[in-house]
Amino acid sequence: MSDRKKKRAHEPGRNTLLAMMVFFFLAFFLLALKDGKWESFALSVVVPAIIYVGTAGISHLFPSDRLLLSLTNFLCALGVLVLYRLSPSRGMSQALNYGVGVGCMMLCAMLVRYVRSWKWLTGLIMVGSIGLLALPLLIGKETNGAKNWFYIGSYSVQPSEIVKLALLISVSYLLSQRKVILSLLFAGACLLMLMLQKDLGTALLYFGVVFVLLYTATGSVPLLIGGVAGGAAAAVAGYQMFAHVKKRVAIWLNPWADSDGAGYQIVQSLIAIVNGGAWGVGLGLGNAQVIPEYYNDFIFSVILHEFGLVFGLVVLCMYLFIIIRGIMIARRCRTVFHALLATGCASLIALQTFVIIGGNIKLIPLTGVTLPFISYGGTSMLCSLCVIGLLQGVASRNKAGVREDRELAMQGGDTR
Amino acid sequence: MSSEAYEILALLMRYVFALIGVLIVFRSFIWLRKDARAYRKEIAALPDAGLIGEIVDLDTGKAQPLPHEGVIGSARECDIRVKGDYVLRRHARFEFVEGKGLKIIPARRGLTLLGGVEMRGPGYALHGTQLGIGSHTLRVRLFAGLNVPTPAAYPEPDTILDAADEDIPWTNITVENAYYLPEETPADAVPFGDGTRNYDGNYDDDGQMTWQYAYSLDELRQEQAKQAWIDAQEDEPAPRESRRRRRGRRE
Repeated sequence: MSDRKKKRAHEPGRNTLLAMMVFFFLAFFLLALKDGKWESFALSVVVPAIIYVGTAGISHLFPSDRLLLSLTNFLCALGVLVLYRLSPSRGMSQALNYGVGVGCMMLCAMLVRYVRSWKWLTGLIMVGSIGLLALPLLIGKETNGAKNWFYIGSYSVQPSEIVKLALLISVSYLLSQRKVILSLLFAGACLLMLMLQKDLGTALLYFGVVFVLLYTATGSVPLLIGGVAGGAAAAVAGYQMFAHVKKRVAIWLNPWADSDGAGYQIVQSLIAIVNGGAWGVGLGLGNAQVIPEYYNDFIFSVILHEFGLVFGLVVLCMYLFIIIRGIMIARRCRTVFHALLATGCASLIALQTFVIIGGNIKLIPLTGVTLPFISYGGTSMLCSLCVIGLLQGVASRNKAGVREDRELAMQGGDTR
Repeated sequence: MSSEAYEILALLMRYVFALIGVLIVFRSFIWLRKDARAYRKEIAALPDAGLIGEIVDLDTGKAQPLPHEGVIGSARECDIRVKGDYVLRRHARFEFVEGKGLKIIPARRGLTLLGGVEMRGPGYALHGTQLGIGSHTLRVRLFAGLNVPTPAAYPEPDTILDAADEDIPWTNITVENAYYLPEETPADAVPFGDGTRNYDGNYDDDGQMTWQYAYSLDELRQEQAKQAWIDAQEDEPAPRESRRRRRGRRE
């Protein structure tokens, strides 16, 4: 065997990537056998090809983390598969979002890799974020009790998703510069805007991420206790102030009391999960469309229904690996800013996944956040992939750091 | 394909999907573990990974590893911990800037000296620069191969005396390898070149210790520490030879 072939055979994750490609080929081919459409046959080739290019191709072009890339690509492709199965138009649209998202991910990775000074950029980002969050209040429309969207022509934009990235970068930078008060003021302003929009699910995410970052940066126990107490007080205040929060808590406690009305969503979700059982009802054989918002908030219930509990655990493990990988990247960082940024990205994905999956399985009250990488929506998909892009940028810097250390060691590693 | 045949196929395929999913998770776990091991192994082979040099406390002789950025102070969480008089809990922040050196950002004015001169804002330290942190004097030592300006040679005490006699022009001597912000101040600026300082005395007109004096004090301290170590070595009784070794020597 030639050296090149040997190297390729020992490439990390080669078999994993191959298994992912086989999975999507079989899944889309099965759907193609059902509907006989040429789009389905095309997707059975295109999606595995995108997974290969999105993992192996990108990691050849840019020094990135292959494991993180492959897991992210798998989850994104799973989203396309599930959406295509239930609503082909949404599936195709999601595939387009996925392609654009990969480009945005690369952009974010390069930003983190090559930008040296974040001082002015952070200032700009902070001002822009407050402006963006104010837009739905001025020109937005109220949907499901929250006023967190605005429309540009036929396109709908959710600024709180974009501001998530801004919050991660700004708070990480400010905390790395020991500007704790300023970071708290900025986070407080963002939270206030979200409270005015009545977007409490996203507010919960923002609070959680800032809290994790603050504790990671300062290690202060009084701050930890204060944060928990403040969060609890805000939750109680939110419950007392907003009628739709009270309603959601009541549905969570007993959805069967109004199973045809307010509790319909969660009841249908629970029925779908139970019907799926351990192995699922089979791809293309389910009836998950009866769940309202099946393509968005309840997509995890759809996965459990068609693929079963075992596969649901597989998906959960993938999220867990992404989070662990994020923490590993943060631990390998050379600078405080990058360590905080990676921690923030990992905690954002962890919190978002927990909040929406917890809501789907009736572990916690349901909030209107999306399942990262899988749920339908352009803004959500782009922002989730941008978060991975930020992580990739930090991972790339870590790799460059190790390379520099190796070079220094080659020069003796001693002081001058 | 007929709906019955599809149903049978889909029911069979759900096991295949679950199996492939479990396989992917298992392989990913192995990948994660392998990567963590490889990284640990790589870092173990590079004991100075993540470091850019060391900071030596000239008063105690203790060296501490110097990371890319961090905090110097007396608090336990500080990256470089210095305990002593006039040392704040978070005395100064430092950050390695490629091509420029180690940027020192003091928390308060008047308590930090860079190259023997009081810091009134951020400044850059190079290899060999002395840092006065409260009552302590530290020396920055950077690894060879880092992209930083080459420090000027240390002026020997004799040279300083010669310079005072105007044999060597003052322009040849830099402020002990340190330079200051704002950037327009050149690295090779004439020390105390505004003509208002007293070169011959130990303190200048503002009451600040001159760098020559600080340097001579530092030399003196080092000499004293060296002498103390030699004295301690001489006073210490020779270690007793073990019975086994004595027997071996006799044989």
